Order: sequence, then C-alpha cells, then structure tokens
Amino acid sequence: MARFDFSIPKEARQRAWWIWIGSLLILLAIGVIGAIRVFVLGLQVTGLSDQVPWGLWITQDLSAIATGAGAFTFSAVVYLFRMKKYQPIARAAVFVGFLGYSSAMLALALDIGRPDRFWHPLVFWNVHSVLWEITWCVILYSAVLVLEFLPIFFETKYFSRWPQLKTYGEILHKASPVFAGVGLALSLLHQSSLGATYGVLSGRAIWYSPSLPVMFILSAVAGGIAMTLLLTMIVEKLNNKQIISRQLQFDISRIAGFALLAYLYLKLWDWASTSYYSNSPGTTEALALLQSTTPYTQTFWWIEILLGGVIPAIILLSQQLRRNDRYTMLALGLIIVGVTINRWNVTLSGLIAPPHWSPGILGGVLSASYLPTWNEIIVSLGIIAYALLAFSFGVKYLPIYTPDEDPAH
Amino acid sequence: MSSNNRLEVDKKKGKKPLISRKEFLQIAGATGGATLITQLITSGPLSPEAIEGIGERTHPSAKGESKHTWCMGIDLSTCIGCQYCVWACQATNDVPGDEMRWNVGFPERTESGTDFFMTRPCLHCLEAPCVKVCPVGATWIRNDGIVTMDYDRCIGCRYCEVACPYDVRRFNWKASTQENPYHPTWGSPEVERRARGVVEKCTFCSHRIDRGLEQGLIPGVDREATPACVNICPVNARVFGDHNDPKSPISVFVRENETFLLREDFGTEPKVHYVRPEKEEV
Repeated sequence: MARFDFSIPKEARQRAWWIWIGSLLILLAIGVIGAIRVFVLGLQVTGLSDQVPWGLWITQDLSAIATGAGAFTFSAVVYLFRMKKYQPIARAAVFVGFLGYSSAMLALALDIGRPDRFWHPLVFWNVHSVLWEITWCVILYSAVLVLEFLPIFFETKYFSRWPQLKTYGEILHKASPVFAGVGLALSLLHQSSLGATYGVLSGRAIWYSPSLPVMFILSAVAGGIAMTLLLTMIVEKLNNKQIISRQLQFDISRIAGFALLAYLYLKLWDWASTSYYSNSPGTTEALALLQSTTPYTQTFWWIEILLGGVIPAIILLSQQLRRNDRYTMLALGLIIVGVTINRWNVTLSGLIAPPHWSPGILGGVLSASYLPTWNEIIVSLGIIAYALLAFSFGVKYLPIYTPDEDPAH
Repeated sequence: MSSNNRLEVDKKKGKKPLISRKEFLQIAGATGGATLITQLITSGPLSPEAIEGIGERTHPSAKGESKHTWCMGIDLSTCIGCQYCVWACQATNDVPGDEMRWNVGFPERTESGTDFFMTRPCLHCLEAPCVKVCPVGATWIRNDGIVTMDYDRCIGCRYCEVACPYDVRRFNWKASTQENPYHPTWGSPEVERRARGVVEKCTFCSHRIDRGLEQGLIPGVDREATPACVNICPVNARVFGDHNDPKSPISVFVRENETFLLREDFGTEPKVHYVRPEKEEV
C-alpha cells in the first residue's frame, strides 16, 4: 500500500482537514437554525401527526444509542471479563458511546413537546412505564460514560497545570471495573427496554412481541462494535498508521459477526413464528397494509436481513474475507445501515399500519403516512455533524488511540 | 472502655483482634446495603404503594375507592350521524381545530352493507395503555374510572399516542390561537385551552361530573352534570352514568341491549359500550 503521509504533502493534508471541519461546521450551523425553528414554531414544522407521532428523530435517537453500545460491550469485556487484549480499543468505544448518547439526547430534546420539562421523569415517577426506566438508565449511563472518559481529558497537556486533576483521573480510572459493571447493568436494561417500548404494546400486533427487546440488544451489540471498529479503521487509513494490531482487528470483527448471527437467528424465529408457521390476524393485516402502501417488505428483506445481516455476517466470519480491510469496512458499514433501517422500520411499521378499531369496514384510520420535512432532516444532519466534529477533534487532540500502559498489568 | 482494654490485651498477647478491619467493613457494607434495599422496598420508591399508585403523590383522585364507575353507551342503530356530539365536544372543551377532535365521527358501513355513523370518544379503558406508558404519570386513571391528564406535567413525548390503539390522543403541534368556530352555536368553553407541546384527550367532561356531584346532582340524569356529547344528542343515542348504580341510564342500557366493546382482544377493557348498527333485540 502506498504510504500516504509521505506522498501527500503536509499542506494538502492540512487543507483536507480544514475542508472536512469546515463542511461539518456548516452542517452544524444549518442544523442549529433548524433547531431554533423547532423551538420557536413548535413541532408543526415536522412531518409528524397524531397517527405517526414518532419519526426520523426517534429513529436517530434509537440508532445513536444502538451504535453507541460498543462502550458497554468493550468496557465489560476489558474490565469485567479481564480480556486485556481488547484494551487498545476500549477508550475509543467509550468516546464513541458518549457521542452516541449525547446525540440521542440532543434529538430527544428537540422531539419532546416541552423540552423545558425534560427533568419531569426524575421527579414524577411512573415505574410502570418502560420509557421512565429508559430515561433514568440513559441519564445514569451517560454520567457513567462521562466518568469513564474524564481521565482521558485529564491526561492532556492542557490539564497538566492542575496536577491534582490527574490524580483524580487515576482514581477514576482505578474504578473502571465498577463503572464497567454499573454500565453493563444499565445498558442491558435500557438497550432492551428500547425494544420493549414497542414490544409491550398489546394493541399493535406488529410490535407486540417478547423477542423485540432481545433483538434490540443483540443488534445494538453488533452495531456498537461495528461503529467503534469502523471509525477506528477509518482513522488508521487516514493516518496510514496501525492503531490496533491486525490480529485484534480480526478478533473484534469476528465478535461482531457472531453478535450479528445471534441477532439474525432470533429475527428468523421471530418472523417464522409470527408470519410463517402461524397466522396472527393482527400481524397479517398490518403487513398487508404495509406492503400495499410502503416499501417495508423490500427494506426488511433486502436491507435489514440481506445487506445489513447475512452479507456482513459472512464477511466477518470468513477467515479469508475478514483479512481484506475493504471488505471488513464494508461489512461494518452495512451493519450500521442495517441497524438504522431496522430502527426506522420498527418505529414506523406499527404507526403506519395502525390497528383497525371501528366496527365497520370503511373507516377509522386505515393507513397513515409520514415523510420527514426538510426541517427534520437538517436537524438530523446537524446532530450527525456534531458527533463527527467531536470525534474528529477528539482523535486529533485527546489521547484516545494511545493506549495507556497500565503499570499494574 | 472494656473493648479497648481487650484490644490492648490482645495486642500484648500478639493475638489478632476479634474482628479485622476488612471483616468489619464487609459486615458494615452488607448491613448498610441490606438496610438501604429494605428501605427502598418497604417504604421507598420501590414499595408496593409507590408502584401501585401512579402519580398518587400529587393526584389524590387516584387514591382510595370511589362509589362510582362512569361509563358511556353509544347506540349505533339509533345514531343519525348529525355530528352534534362532535361539535358540542369541541365547543365545551375548547377544541377549535377539526384535526384535534377528541370525539370523532365518520360514515361507516357494516360487513353486510348497512350504512351507519361511527362516533368515538375516549374509551377510558380500565387497563389503559396510555396510563401505563406515560413516563411522568401525567396521565392517570381516577378512582371513578376516568382516564385524565395533568397538562402541567406532560412533557410531550407522545408515547401515549403511540400506545393508544384507538387513535384517541391529540398533540398540540402548534399554539392554538384561533377562535373557536363552534362557540357559541354548540356551547361555550368550560375548560382552559391546552398549551403548545402537550398531549390532550377526552375527559368524559369530568369538570361537569365533579361540580355536579358537589351540588348533589346525578351525572347521566341531570344535564348540568352530564358530558356535553350526551346532552346534545337529538335522538338519545348516547347515554351516560354510574355503572355501579343499577338504576343509572348506562346500567339500564347495558341490561336492555346487546352491547359490545371496541376490540376487546386488545385487553384494554374499555368503558364505552356500543350497540351494533343492526340492532338485535334481547
């Protein structure tokens, strides 16, 4: 492979960096304008309705949390199961996780009708609500992520003027196993509860399923590993520098492949037991409605199953294909696309095909429709721009990819 | 003092203290943890009372037993489709926008081809999905069975809209500033209009019921204490009352007609009883 950093002069690299940062800043600025419009005019600027009250932002929120799941996976693997060989990627996983969760919170803050009351779930409890549990878990887990990440900040040159901070950072770092344990518990709770958000609704047959929470957490493990590894590999390629060993990269790819396989297995049985081996009138009715008005069936089979599941699983589990970095990166990207499309399909399917409650054959709501408005799209792009900006600066200025030599080990 | 002395003696003899610091910390930690967990489960936020009573702390109406269970009956074979109930609701509850209607009505046809007019208020389900899912307890079920809302507590997440299988709930997508076109022809607003960013729903005109009971009136019988949609109906297709009272209009309605509930298979246990458009005499 050509050695990029010698063939490309430093100025050109500098220029490319500023073009990248500049375009992200522009996207972010446009997103901020969109967000201000939402706060001033209210949610009427979205394409949402009483029949389809959740859409693009909820999808983004679910996808960001799912692809941020690498943080809890790697923390648990390194600090609880003591598989130290994964240490070099643990910091990146925590950082990506934090960016995912903060993106989700930004999307949520815009999506709720009364952002000024965001604190209500903390004061007014309804323990029957999975959303209440999710709110608590997400807030607590974000705090865990911050605590896990603070030591990295304190290691930087800027903070060296306060040596005390570094000591605090070391104390925090020593507590890593505790954070990993708490983080694992909180993540297992809310990652699956996000699926339960839909899975517990007995009135909507296409959602009502005990396997939805499990499918959510399995796909989050695959998606979280994929996001962390893909970003790491992109950083490697851009700097033409090996960050993690090839063997570690193969091992991580294989774990992602197995997580994906487990997810596909459950998905197969979920489909087979509700739509193939049996007939559930509510599900059949909803699927027929979706098939006639939306590309749901195509996106489910072609994107969720084939592109986002089977193909990446084959690449990541095959010893030959996995050795090709291009194939690996393609597979990781496909997992992320598959998980995102899955969150979109799950959210929209139950809303676009609502249950039929009228005793007649004409009326009630037969099928609803939703298309995100430009305002929703620019806000979503703005949030993605925020995450990419933070990631770019983080990689450039923070010791994310310089694995600490733990003196104890 | 004595323990101190003993420790000193132990030291002198070169024996270990009765309890090492590590053991002490372990025991103290376990006791503390157990106390905390017991506290959480017996009287804290995980106690049965706290779990049972959604929003109880600030919603006394959910507490204790009530003598009443408010229910509605809708006779689809009598209804003539005039939509007066729809408009009276919009006037009384100050719902100016037609896309926000709490009480909806639309032309329908049975499988055997009979045309009829379908209307639907909130069904005030006993097992209301909207009550279960609300993350802040802004929706709760009163002890008299009415599913109601605290608009000051709602955060506008719209999970209740997602959960309700009957399309009952309405969100304030924008500030509602227009004049109410149904006032004064169909009635006058009796409740405050809701703010932008919160969800709203049919209340069975609970403000009339509460005020009426204070005045010694009987909801479902006395007009001042009866929901607006029931009062306005020119053909008495809607009845209302206390299901616990065998003489109430709703009890008579359910006794004398063959009634059904909307999508009982959802397990929501609605409190609005319908009579089929093709009436079967009991």
